[in-house]
Amino acid sequence: MPINKNPYTWAGLGLLIAGGLVALFAHFILSLTWLTALGICMIILSAILLALSRTIPKLPPEVCSLLLDTGIDNMATIVEELGIKAKAVYLPSSLTNGPPKALIPLHANPALPPLTKALPQRFIARYGTRPDDIGLLFSTIGSTAVALLESRPDSTAEALELALTSLLAGTLDAADSTTVTYLENHHIRVEILNPRIGNNATRYQECLGGPLASIVASVAAEAWDKPVTITQEEHQGERYTIELEVTE
Amino acid sequence: MKIYNRYIIITALLLLLTTVILIAAGQTSLNVYYITYIVEALAITELFVHLNKKARQGLNLVSAILFGGFLFIVSLEAIKLLT
Repeated sequence: MPINKNPYTWAGLGLLIAGGLVALFAHFILSLTWLTALGICMIILSAILLALSRTIPKLPPEVCSLLLDTGIDNMATIVEELGIKAKAVYLPSSLTNGPPKALIPLHANPALPPLTKALPQRFIARYGTRPDDIGLLFSTIGSTAVALLESRPDSTAEALELALTSLLAGTLDAADSTTVTYLENHHIRVEILNPRIGNNATRYQECLGGPLASIVASVAAEAWDKPVTITQEEHQGERYTIELEVTE
Repeated sequence: MKIYNRYIIITALLLLLTTVILIAAGQTSLNVYYITYIVEALAITELFVHLNKKARQGLNLVSAILFGGFLFIVSLEAIKLLT
């Protein structure tokens, strides 16, 4: 088993050695039960720390942030250079022949035609029969995040909330919790408590949404197995509210 | 890794608090200390349902080892009672 040397490993090893010595010394030499118990307590904590140390990514957060910023910068350049104004439509994996992706129509059509079959695995994809029905098919942060889910969530607000909390609070540690409400007219409101990923007001973000909105939209698209659009994003204090529309 | 830190801090505080309470109650049996620690550690691990899959796998292994210790103590006590 490879040892991932991080602060958790060092703290775990330190507690294991100290706890072992304290427990042995207290039990066999001092005959003090409470001190032996304290040593056992340290050993239990060391086991927990060592178990968790294996799951810490080897890549430092700063490097991850650099990679994320670089990817976003490149996508922002494409969106801005092409002068795209239309909002992205998050497609489920059943419509992309692969991971869920975001489709950005090159022309701001009044409405997206119903997608009946999977789009080709290309950057520039035709999604309808009209000449203007051409868009860019982007892999977003949400496309990758969906792969981290243990299973595909059901198309209910409760299942989506569970999946998002597990993903954002547990796996990615990007927020504390989420609340999902299913509104009328196929709208979903997601509230994220204490988000730890920032949002910039750029053309790219207006088009594709922020990183958290992108994750939420991708998971929702996968859950409902239908295209999803981000209709609203709002950050107020510790709450980040995202409103989605599920395309019928 | 905020969720990990929260989990570790809560576990450490609870175990230390238990030690203080058991010392104050005049508990002298090491088995009681150990069983209380295990029950608490298992309960907290179950409460943190949102920990990622890999972390849960690691913690399940720790829980299994601790539970093995618990069974060992229970069997020793049972043998003591029977003989």
